[in-house]
Amino acid sequence: MAMATNSIKLLTGNSHGGLAKLVADRLGIELAKIMVLQYSNNESSISIGESVRDEDVFILQSTEPGNINDHIMELLILINACRTASARRITAVLPNFPYARQDKKDKSRAPITAKLMANMLQTAGCNHVITMDLHASQIQGFFNVPVDNLYAEPSTLRWIRDNLPVRDCVIVSPDAGGAKRATSIADGLDLGFALIHKERARPNEVSRMVLVGDVRDRIAIIVDDMADTCGTLVKAAEVVMEHGASQAIAIVTHGILSGNACEKLNNSRLQKLVVTNTVPHEEKKRKCERIETIDISPTLAEACRRTHNGESVSFLFKHAPLD
Amino acid sequence: MRGACVFSGSSHPSLVEAICERLGTKPAKVQLKKFANGETSVEIKESVREKDIFVVQSGSGQINDNVMELLIMISACKGGSAKSITAVMPYFPYSRQSKRKTHRGAITARMLANLLNVAGVDHVITVDLHANQMQGFFKCPVDNLLAEALLAKWLRTNVPEWWEAVVVSKNPGGTKRVTSLADALKLSFGIVTTDRRRPHQQPSLNASMLNSTIFESMGTNGTNDTAEMGRELEEVEAIVEVSDEDPHAPIEQDFAPRNATPRTHADLTENRARRPSKHRAATAGLAPTLRTRVINGSSDTPSSPLARSTRLDSVGKEDAVMPDDSEGLGLQRRYTAPGIEQPPPDDDGYEASDGDDEGDERARDVITGRLIHGHIVDDDEVHSPNMSVQSGSNENGEGSGQRDSRSSEDEPLPEPMAQSFMSTASTHSRMLQPQYGLGGTGDATASDEEEEEALKDPEIESTVTLVGNVRDKPVLIVDDMIDKAGSWIAAAETVVKRGGATKVYCMATHGLFGGDCLRELDMCDEIEAIVVTDAFPVPPEKRRQSKKLVVLDVSGLLSEAIRRNHHGESISQLYTHFD
Repeated sequence: MAMATNSIKLLTGNSHGGLAKLVADRLGIELAKIMVLQYSNNESSISIGESVRDEDVFILQSTEPGNINDHIMELLILINACRTASARRITAVLPNFPYARQDKKDKSRAPITAKLMANMLQTAGCNHVITMDLHASQIQGFFNVPVDNLYAEPSTLRWIRDNLPVRDCVIVSPDAGGAKRATSIADGLDLGFALIHKERARPNEVSRMVLVGDVRDRIAIIVDDMADTCGTLVKAAEVVMEHGASQAIAIVTHGILSGNACEKLNNSRLQKLVVTNTVPHEEKKRKCERIETIDISPTLAEACRRTHNGESVSFLFKHAPLD
Repeated sequence: MRGACVFSGSSHPSLVEAICERLGTKPAKVQLKKFANGETSVEIKESVREKDIFVVQSGSGQINDNVMELLIMISACKGGSAKSITAVMPYFPYSRQSKRKTHRGAITARMLANLLNVAGVDHVITVDLHANQMQGFFKCPVDNLLAEALLAKWLRTNVPEWWEAVVVSKNPGGTKRVTSLADALKLSFGIVTTDRRRPHQQPSLNASMLNSTIFESMGTNGTNDTAEMGRELEEVEAIVEVSDEDPHAPIEQDFAPRNATPRTHADLTENRARRPSKHRAATAGLAPTLRTRVINGSSDTPSSPLARSTRLDSVGKEDAVMPDDSEGLGLQRRYTAPGIEQPPPDDDGYEASDGDDEGDERARDVITGRLIHGHIVDDDEVHSPNMSVQSGSNENGEGSGQRDSRSSEDEPLPEPMAQSFMSTASTHSRMLQPQYGLGGTGDATASDEEEEEALKDPEIESTVTLVGNVRDKPVLIVDDMIDKAGSWIAAAETVVKRGGATKVYCMATHGLFGGDCLRELDMCDEIEAIVVTDAFPVPPEKRRQSKKLVVLDVSGLLSEAIRRNHHGESISQLYTHFD
């Protein structure tokens, strides 16, 4: 009987209020009232303004470039506050998993920070994680709690079908690691596929590139999981245009767009950069008109709803909820 | 040191340099930077395999970055097969959030302890934790070093006639830190407490959550007024407390029937006369300055479960001869839920040797003042500014003076403070944050932040109480950290303007100096010097802001702790003998 009164509480930190509002609207609930304060030395202090006792708590927190560590601490404190306030279950909804790229010991004594993040989330008291397009699916194995890795792919496919002449397109992966993602989209649209092989010198810097496949007189859709400084995408656009593509368009899930990404895009041969709203980027949209947004809040909201009701989430791996 | 590496986080490199110089080594090579999106990147540039690793990280303005950096460094060393990893945290971040202050607040300090644990730390060295109990948050050993010896040494060399000085705590929660320094130097000590008056009493937040008996009794009275509600609550509590006419009977037995009976005037008066024998207690923790307090507790009942804290104050008589009802209500406010503010039994026995010869006098060294906008103001209606210091029969003068200065008769009166220090503390925390009653904490340290806010609020007038004699003596106001200036300035003005102290030294281990704190302290004429250690980095531009600022070096203490830990020697000498 107690189950009947148990309901969804959606909380959010300071990172991405817009997305949280969309998810809350979609779920037909109000965002829970919380107060986030900073001590004068920038320590975060949180108080939750309504009872979460025995409720199913979802905490949505994205990470904005520049304040990532603040947002992580905020998230951990929120989780911990709900845990000590006797929430029944706490689900961290992380549309953009922070530190996902530090997922392996690629050099001597390099930290596996993604694993550290996983441990920290669990230590704070998290029972479940919902995230989207993890940089490497293996990160799910860093957790001892269930992780639902959603895909932006269904939303992406719908956007391509709605906005581009599908028959004239070709899907391009900007690196070997993204080949699987690209082939999956290419299969979904029944299109051809090309790959750019690159030799990476240092993080965030790109060197020589080789194109494998045919892009001539087609619209090259470059797909990747994240656009950070946009160096890779800009270089890839160069390559496909040199190989005779009619147009270069990039579609990525996480538009982090840090540093001078906007200027780079404005000066590039990339006609359009389509990102989802996992990371707040309204500011950057004003600086760069080539950025377009796919709203993935329906997918997140549906995942929350299904998790809460104990329904299968895997349906969302292939289908995007209708707006 | 063979087989050991000292790594420096980015928060306080100069301290690490100093530590390494004393250890005769260099900080190990590490590259700390940020990725373009702001994620922290750590590259350990030398081998850590089978070595003892010490990672030194304090706090700074970018405290969350510092925390993440420390966690990632520890994790990287763990992944690099280090033998042991010690986190050296001169300032422990989030140490002020060591308990649940409000409903659903996070215990962030405990969480941080757990995070350090999962990152892979084997040992923690820190300096002057905000609360000693935080050592229990960790699964690994914690060495909580004390900067007290450093402060004491500075004191002995730089304060003229330091042996005359009085150590003062600016809030009741910090008393323990103060007594420790006072004991080490054989100085006397005092306490300043601030107590917010409520001009228009708000309905207390916990009213809705208290148990149903209270609503029952309110229903019989038929009152719905919110201001009335608060008073009702307090009356009920008072009655609950005083109702145990048989001291041997447990309080709970009397609870329900008492509440159900209509309260009459006579009932209250009668109870008030009785009450002190049971609950007016709690002076046990106070040191010699409060010895003037008197015991006439012949009705004390050793068999009572509260026997250890039932020693009497001198108040019974006065309460009994003041039948004025509103006054009575004011007094009753002071009594909070039983059990919350019990004095620590370990310090019991201070007053055992005191005689009865002083009769019904109150504590002499209690001075009150009015605090508006965080500054002491003259209370025009008070007959003599130093009334309660010298004369032994000033209670009435002080009491009436305070009463005249107030417009409303049912305002809480400061007299109970003069009678019981612990009751002051309980009132204090309760008035600031009514939720404490539910949070289960009776520790006044929680109120630091709220207290600062109250000091800034022009609507709120506070009563500040100084316990202890500071006349013509230098005063050392001591706490563990200086973050905001308000309470320090209020305390400094109180001891000088009301207590007649000669000079004021503000001393703390961690100089956080948030906002304009340092400038405000510098501008306060009463303060002679501000003494902190460099456990928390004080940037050069801040040091230039103040001529009164003295920053003591803790690198010796930390390096010695690191050295002893590495060689497996005892560090207990560092607690007392460190120079």
